[in-house]
Amino acid sequence: MPKASIIITTYNRPHLLPRAIASACASGQDVEVIVVDDASSDETASICQSTRGITYVRLDRNQGVAGARNVGLVASRGEYISFLDDDDVRLPNSLDEQIEALRKTPEAMLCYAKAIPAVASGKQSEPYPAHCPQGDIFWKLLVRNFIPCGTVVVRRTCVSRVGLLDDSIPGIDDWDIWIRIVELFPVIAMEMPVIIWRQSTPASAQGSSRTVELIALGRRRFRDHWMKLPRAVNATRAERHEAWRAFSRNIAEHLTWETLSALRQAQAGRGLTSAQTLLRLHPGALLSVLRRWTRASTIITLMTAGTGRNDLANAKTRFKQIRSDAPRQ
Amino acid sequence: MPRVSVIIPTHDRPQLLTRAVDSARVSAVDVEIIVVDDASSDGTAAACAQLTGIKYVRAERNQGVAGARNIGIFESTAKYVAFLDDDDLRLPGSLDMQADLLDQHQDAGFVCGAMIMADQDYQPTGEIVRPRHAGGDAFWELLELDFPVMPLCTLIRKDCFSTVGLLNRQVTSIDDWDIFTRIAELYSVIVVDEPVGVYRQPTPFSGQGSSARAIQLQLATRHQLKLLQLPRAAAAPLMQRRKIRRRAIRRVSENLVWNAGAKYLPQGRFSPALANVAVALRLDPLIAVRPNGYKTVAKKLIEKMGVR
Repeated sequence: MPKASIIITTYNRPHLLPRAIASACASGQDVEVIVVDDASSDETASICQSTRGITYVRLDRNQGVAGARNVGLVASRGEYISFLDDDDVRLPNSLDEQIEALRKTPEAMLCYAKAIPAVASGKQSEPYPAHCPQGDIFWKLLVRNFIPCGTVVVRRTCVSRVGLLDDSIPGIDDWDIWIRIVELFPVIAMEMPVIIWRQSTPASAQGSSRTVELIALGRRRFRDHWMKLPRAVNATRAERHEAWRAFSRNIAEHLTWETLSALRQAQAGRGLTSAQTLLRLHPGALLSVLRRWTRASTIITLMTAGTGRNDLANAKTRFKQIRSDAPRQ
Repeated sequence: MPRVSVIIPTHDRPQLLTRAVDSARVSAVDVEIIVVDDASSDGTAAACAQLTGIKYVRAERNQGVAGARNIGIFESTAKYVAFLDDDDLRLPGSLDMQADLLDQHQDAGFVCGAMIMADQDYQPTGEIVRPRHAGGDAFWELLELDFPVMPLCTLIRKDCFSTVGLLNRQVTSIDDWDIFTRIAELYSVIVVDEPVGVYRQPTPFSGQGSSARAIQLQLATRHQLKLLQLPRAAAAPLMQRRKIRRRAIRRVSENLVWNAGAKYLPQGRFSPALANVAVALRLDPLIAVRPNGYKTVAKKLIEKMGVR
């Protein structure tokens, strides 16, 4: 039986997949690489069948990322499990180091680390997240998903204890399962980067209306599920209120950024949608956003972004870093 | 690697669970029994600690039946998978018999058998429910709600889950119909007439049998629209899809009216009867002018009056 399983879900991206597979194979000793093909309609199948040393699982009906990851979980046999997207790259030996860390801390169920963001053009920026909190991160994670999905290694035993991924919330299914895990178990974080994370360029379709949609979905999930977890229910009113406030502030910031970046790219429709959503969801949070945005560091970032459109992606990353460095009361 | 996994989701019923586990033990020679404790708050964990030779998995937060079954599939190491509820029984040797059939027919996705209906004390009522199908391609019948497949009587090839996906948690309570339809879309189905399980019927006065049934059927008619989008159904001519939809709705509403007339009214339970009729009317307003539904209700009413 292999020690670890890396589950790569893929859909119609045969040009990127081989790199992800090769990086997964080199990420540790005794690793089982499972490629779940979510009913791709192109040459993905033939590429996978000619790749040796992987377990290829083909779904005949498209299930979405979460559904495909669940199928990968069922096919996996390793004691430690990690997910990798088909456009990400795992760094050599990174998996072994994370497993070693988990082995030393038997009570921890999840280990995450940093990701190096790279835009499609290949440009890389500072590893994300800037801070990696450890131990009990339940309340922190509720506010913001700072765990890059590909960096996570979980123990097999904890999957059955919290349940598999929820395929009804595409896009935040990973955030949801991390929350269910950290509600019950402590986590360990490593300060080193373990994956190269390909982000969509701001101009590509992915980053646009999808963001607004995801924010609305996350907000619903927060209220209807996460706040109903026993840990949140048993917390004091003040704690719950604080979590909700921080969460609201965070999504208000996201939406403000979304609006600004849409306007800068002269996409009026997109800007309008996010501005509308912002006003609908959090009219009150606007004030606190404004207060934070008038900070010197933020203004400098925005000015940098103003100098050239091409720097927009870097500016956003830098902005994220400033935000995660800022202490939260 | 064991040949068959029996997945038993359980929630707060340790007194019944032992019996289900014992029946699963003798249902096949090489069997792996997986008890998924769906966040029970009582003595289930302690009761399972007493049982030897089972794989006990505890979900810390309630997952619902479909979620618990998915955890069971995740834990299973066998080639074939069977679901068993904690209050039902499997007959001795029944899983071996079904596994042999799946061995012989490599293109089959699952095999289903008949079940013996029993009362609360597991005493057979004399009724045996047999599958209403000859086997082979059962996709259209399943889609039309014409072929009820009981998970208790079914053995599934585990590979099917990696081609069609796992159980759908959003439609818990009809997740079994959903997965069997999705499997039957791509695989053939084997049917045996032999009884393979014992179904412990809910008491007539427990909540389970009454309004839950109406909700379930209503959910099924709504979910059918999703299943009609499966590639094989979507490729069918529009007329055929419309016919399937119409027949399913008619079947469901007649079933609801029949239940109201035959089950609830004779027991003098007017509110579930009314609820059923209301749902039926909403689904299919024309049922009011179709004589079949009325006839059943009227007949039962007259019988009832006659007895008095």
